[in-house]
Amino acid sequence: MSKINLILSREFTERVRKKSFIITTLLTPILMITLMAAPTLIMMLGKTSTKKVVVVDNSPERFVGRQLKSGSTVEFRLLDTGITAAEARAQYSNADRAYGILIIGSDILSNPGNLQLILNDASSMSVEESINGQIQDILRTERLSRYEIENIDRILADAGIRVNVQTLKNNVLATDEDSMEATSTTMSWLLGLTLGMLLYFILIVYGQQVLQSVIDEKQTRVLDVIITSCTPFELMMGKILGIALVAALQIVIWAVLVIGVSSFVMPLLIDPASVQAISDPMMGSAISSFTDVGFLLSLFVQLLVFAVGGFLFYASMYAAIGSAVDTPQDAAQFNSIIMMPVILAIIVMMNIMNDPNSGLVFWCSMIPFTSPIVMMARIPFGIPAWQVIVSIIVLFISFFIMTWIAARIFRVGVFMHGKKPTWKDLAAWIKMK
Amino acid sequence: MDTVLKIEHISKTYTGHRALDDVSMEIPRGSIYGLLGPNGAGKTTLIRVVNRMILPDSGKVFFEDREITAEDIYRIGYMPEERGLYKKMKVGEQAIFFARMRGLSKFEAIKRLRKWFDRMELTEWWDRKVEDLSKGMAQKVQFIVTVAHEPKLLIFDEPFSGFDPINTNLLKDEILNLRDRGATIIFSTHNMESVEALCDNITLINKSRNVLSGSVGEIRRKAGGNTFRVVFSGEYDKFTRAISDKAELIGEPENLIGGYTQHKLHIKLDKDIRPVIGALNESVNLRSFQEIIPSMNDIFIRAVNGTL
Repeated sequence: MSKINLILSREFTERVRKKSFIITTLLTPILMITLMAAPTLIMMLGKTSTKKVVVVDNSPERFVGRQLKSGSTVEFRLLDTGITAAEARAQYSNADRAYGILIIGSDILSNPGNLQLILNDASSMSVEESINGQIQDILRTERLSRYEIENIDRILADAGIRVNVQTLKNNVLATDEDSMEATSTTMSWLLGLTLGMLLYFILIVYGQQVLQSVIDEKQTRVLDVIITSCTPFELMMGKILGIALVAALQIVIWAVLVIGVSSFVMPLLIDPASVQAISDPMMGSAISSFTDVGFLLSLFVQLLVFAVGGFLFYASMYAAIGSAVDTPQDAAQFNSIIMMPVILAIIVMMNIMNDPNSGLVFWCSMIPFTSPIVMMARIPFGIPAWQVIVSIIVLFISFFIMTWIAARIFRVGVFMHGKKPTWKDLAAWIKMK
Repeated sequence: MDTVLKIEHISKTYTGHRALDDVSMEIPRGSIYGLLGPNGAGKTTLIRVVNRMILPDSGKVFFEDREITAEDIYRIGYMPEERGLYKKMKVGEQAIFFARMRGLSKFEAIKRLRKWFDRMELTEWWDRKVEDLSKGMAQKVQFIVTVAHEPKLLIFDEPFSGFDPINTNLLKDEILNLRDRGATIIFSTHNMESVEALCDNITLINKSRNVLSGSVGEIRRKAGGNTFRVVFSGEYDKFTRAISDKAELIGEPENLIGGYTQHKLHIKLDKDIRPVIGALNESVNLRSFQEIIPSMNDIFIRAVNGTL
């Protein structure tokens, strides 16, 4: 077995055996699935008990209070005329008797702000929304009626137009519009964001592991022992590939778990009728896309390619830095430079929704420093395959160049102890014979 | 001379600091060679040059009469001064890993390591993590890891640091054993007792230069400078008269218990010592006449201070 293989398998087995690996591998998909299922679950579990609100209405002829309708959220009880706010507060002073006392001002029609809700219990957004909504409608109707225009309701309903553009992916093979795939910009953006963040996580978290691993070996001087049995390049590649394999294993386990849950558990959990019943089309398409196995599979393959390429690219930089410094503190300065393109990538990713094909976004998805994250976030928008392929080729070529540079720093850095190197030192090491 | 390793005119400068200045040495096959010198003298740098961990600015290293190559390094066993083992890894697995890194098959590695663990009384620690070991035990593991692939040349950097006297002896015996089985051993140390006990030859490096080289016996004799300690009883005047033209006295006489007197004297290198002994024997009651051979410790200090 070659030396790289030996180092790789040591790095791999040591990591995979760790409890922390097993825990994060299993917990992350559970977290992801919980997040996906959260909207449905919240809707199912979000029902609360009906709150009893007593109403002291000072409006003319108590026209507001009489029109308030009790529902599943709030039950209104209009108090008799003559009971003052102070009396009501004294009488309904605890949560058992009333959740709150609603006091409607006498000038409510001209001054809609003269409205108070005095609570005996914790405030509730849904109660407030229900009160605001109902009183707004009552006041609106009342004010409109004063104009004495016939059929005003119908006129207003007619004027209130809501437009929602239907976005479809142009497919020349499709014979009619129905068979074209519907896309949702928001949905693509959210999915892209998730993938981009996942990639960010892989680059940074696993990249840092490479950095840490090299620094550890330098600190414990294992490096001095091991470096007499292999070349610095073999050591560096063994480490990077070993950790890459750990990352790949983790992604595959996640893919299997998420796809498995999507295809077997989600259909049981989410009743298809309830998916259709969800009025929000975005949410509906989100849920349906997470139950589409083919779509998920292709995403995971692309995720894997970009994750591996991006990781190898970043990991070689991390390895070079790890070799050059003695402590994680010393690495911080170099680390922040590595983080800059990553942060840029995230900022660009956030703005992809506006135009996934703008110049900035396009170039950021080609330049290897930002391409893994930005390209991954673009993919759900449905971009041409050639762009993805070019981006992958550029990324892997850059990985080889970066590895070569890193190896040159590494072979000198591993034996340097004491002084923190400067950028100038690193440049000199690269050039050194 | 059959040399395993030949170091020729090695110089190495780090930014502004000359770590090695024209250092040469030859390591005879099957010998134990001591690399001595104060802290920061350049010993570790020299060892790293030999191991090709750093490249010298000038000079060459020959291994078995050829210029040393990367492949040769794998036939060298190197134990660095700062011990390094993976703390979270199990002892046995770790030893197998290093043995395989040095070219042993898994099967062969396990076979040899089991034997070594037995000898070093470490067998019950095979499945424990390194962080559970005491410092001395970890040192023993490090030693095993260095020698398990049976390299022809072994380089130990401060092998005895961190060992109790019992384990130091155990280690000394193992080093002698390795030599007897044909290995050539270089070790750097500050422990001069171990140099006297083990080393056939030494090189002393001070301020990046080779200041003293040769066989331990010769160096000590030379450093003694033909000085002798005489113990006698009788008249002091007769004693001084007896040696007046044959040797020079060093220092003052010392009175010993039982009426004996002790005095140091120096005899010129080209002179025979027998006439001195003869004259003394006739004039006083001579109890002992002994050459003073300085300890390596003295030699070390004098060499470093430039008073040798």
